[in-house]
Amino acid sequence: MKSALTWKIIAKCSTTKARVGKLTLPHGPVDTPVFMPVGTQGTLKGLTTKQLEELNCQIMLNNTYHLGLSPGQELIEELGGSHKFQNWNRNLLTDSGGFQMVSLLKLARITEEGVEFQSPRDGSIMLLTPEHSMSLQNSIGADIIMQLDDVVSSLTTGPRVEEAMHRSIRWLDRCINSHKKPETQNLFAIIQGGLDIDLRKKCIEEMVKRDTPGYAIGGLSGGEEKDVFWRIVSLSTDLLPKSKPIYCMGVGYAEDLVVCSALGVDMYDCVFPTRTARFGNAITSKGSLNLKSTKFAQDFEPIEKDCNCLTCKKYTRAYIHMHATRETVGCHLITLHNVSYQLRLMNSIRQAILNDNFPSFIQQFFKELFGGKDNYPIWAVNALKSVNIELLP
Amino acid sequence: MSLSFNLLKTSEKSLRLGRLTLIKNQEQNILLDTPNCLAYTSRGCVPHLTPDNLQAIPLIDAVSVTLEHFIDIQPPPSTQFPGGIHKFLNFEGYLVFFDVRDSGKLKSVSYNTDKYVSIYTCHGVRQITSDSYIKYMNIYKPDIFASLADKITDETPSLKRIKKSVDRTLKWLDNALSNEGIQVFGVLTGHNNQEERIRSAQETAKRNVAGFVLNGNFLENTSRERINMLKSSLDHLPSTKPRLAYGLGTPEDIILGVSEGIDLFDTAYSVKMTDAGHAFIFSLDLKNDLDSSKQQQQTINLWDTNFRNDVQPLLIGCQCYSCQNHTRAYIHHLLNAHEMLATVLLMSHNLYHYTNFFKTIRESINQNTFFQKAEQFFKVYGEQKMEETKNSTIIYN
Ligand SMILES: [Zn+2]
Ligand SMILES: [Zn+2]
Repeated sequence: MKSALTWKIIAKCSTTKARVGKLTLPHGPVDTPVFMPVGTQGTLKGLTTKQLEELNCQIMLNNTYHLGLSPGQELIEELGGSHKFQNWNRNLLTDSGGFQMVSLLKLARITEEGVEFQSPRDGSIMLLTPEHSMSLQNSIGADIIMQLDDVVSSLTTGPRVEEAMHRSIRWLDRCINSHKKPETQNLFAIIQGGLDIDLRKKCIEEMVKRDTPGYAIGGLSGGEEKDVFWRIVSLSTDLLPKSKPIYCMGVGYAEDLVVCSALGVDMYDCVFPTRTARFGNAITSKGSLNLKSTKFAQDFEPIEKDCNCLTCKKYTRAYIHMHATRETVGCHLITLHNVSYQLRLMNSIRQAILNDNFPSFIQQFFKELFGGKDNYPIWAVNALKSVNIELLP
Repeated sequence: MSLSFNLLKTSEKSLRLGRLTLIKNQEQNILLDTPNCLAYTSRGCVPHLTPDNLQAIPLIDAVSVTLEHFIDIQPPPSTQFPGGIHKFLNFEGYLVFFDVRDSGKLKSVSYNTDKYVSIYTCHGVRQITSDSYIKYMNIYKPDIFASLADKITDETPSLKRIKKSVDRTLKWLDNALSNEGIQVFGVLTGHNNQEERIRSAQETAKRNVAGFVLNGNFLENTSRERINMLKSSLDHLPSTKPRLAYGLGTPEDIILGVSEGIDLFDTAYSVKMTDAGHAFIFSLDLKNDLDSSKQQQQTINLWDTNFRNDVQPLLIGCQCYSCQNHTRAYIHHLLNAHEMLATVLLMSHNLYHYTNFFKTIRESINQNTFFQKAEQFFKVYGEQKMEETKNSTIIYN
């Protein structure tokens, strides 16, 4: 199908499956591997678009379900789409809205036609079809849009998983057929198939035939065993065409980003860094700090010494402790740092791949975050072993 | 370090244009042209604004910080910080004014004695003595601090209580003045008693204070009534020292306060309006063709669904970050979605607008058009208020 992006692989790691790419979308370039922060309702948790630009953020997410409710499809179209609405001139990605419905609304029911749900406004039964999702996403106008898929929990087993996989393929076809703006918006397919290797293979085989501009690995990060998670990711990156960007949905913990990049994933999104900031948690290369804790009341160090974000340059942990969860500024400062941390981590991953020292970067990263061998998560050790990396003791 | 106040222009009435000059060291000095405002802070930050967003409001040169927000634990942990309060709060380019109580709160529970003042913090009631206050000030090193005051919060205090409050406040002022190094503003008391207000003003004026603090937080009164209450103090102050007043936040309050010779205000009102979802649109520079028979709005309420598809900025022509980048429709959406960016953008605009309002006041004093503009202001923004000011000798005489 038509594509509104160009994708160039600039460097490949000689040990792992990691790669650095340059993705060019209608609203500018995106350096991959990339972490995309989530601005659910057309805004990223109190940060201005200027602050995001200064952090070098090249792409963020909006959620179709939320924008569909407010300001609503008609209005967002009247106002010229989501970029204009929030004054964000860089790239946007929207989800299909389906996942949000299934996870937020108890009464959602899936039929061949689409996702049935009760309107949170007036309680009436509404239906999100692949066509409706495309129409909404066309109105929002993001640079990357996602197909409506049949989401089942990654803990589900049995025939429902297979049904969902086949239905996701059928829905992809309906999305492709109803997508009105393929010259400005890139539709990504979402690989389903649960934790079943054969179903995943089948799904990839069928979806690759549709030749969408990019592919997402869906149906993961739902509480499944991490040791199964990475195997599905790795299988997907092996089977998907190397000429297309690969997006692993819902991944955002630092160690997951490093491991999945080594497995060959190019794009990630997660609400974690911004959500955790609201509870006073700052992410650092040595783990998370809960700045609400009184142990920071007299800690006059920055959150991270070598971080060059505004927060770390100007304020101490003690200052943020005074504000965390009490003043919106406390939340803004931690959010700024957390987004900065995520983007900085991705930048270091890219630099390490470019310099072809990604393996030693990974070793140092794990040593710093977990302190040593005894604390490494087994799944990460196994995943990294599969791409020829032994962690340091 | 030195602090000086010069009157640049005075009129036969109380109206004045001044300049507060703070010379911090050879490299740094801060000029604060008055009438002006101190940015209100909560826990030492300007609400909703990270420092880059605060810096985008160029006319803010001074902040007002409140000890009340710091003493959940005593001594406050931040007193261990080695670099002073400017550095701790990242206010190094600003004049930092310190006071004990939060000027944005109209009423506070208190029980004061000869020894201490009670303060309501988020962890309950705390006591602060004059000595411990001075001790903290010597550690924080603000540029100016207000002396400890025995503020009365009873509705109808006895004369005995009012006298006691004046005496205690003067005693604590003497204690603060015996401490060298940081400039002190004396707090005027006297509550609603004319004679005690005069006594407090006269006694405070005798002392070596750098300026005066007046409290205009009288909940139920109109602008005019509040100003009249303050006037009994103002009439007994030397003209050569700056006067800061709390509780005068609306444009009417400011205009009336300025015409009575108040030099400094705070921005608590702009925070209150921001939190209510309002954006300022009032102006002192009113066009002559404005229909004065129609009452104009001073603010717009961004919760109003009429703004849902309004692609104008909060205020056409405003140069603030919000107005240069965002629409009313977007801010309306942010409020509805309970997104924190709503108050970031509203605060940015409101503070920008508020500080600019002071600038136009200074310009009009300089050009001798202040009273004329004030009259026009009251005409355009409210018939009632026009009547109210017509009866006064200050604006129309
Ligand atoms: Zn930082
Ligand atoms: Zn503005």
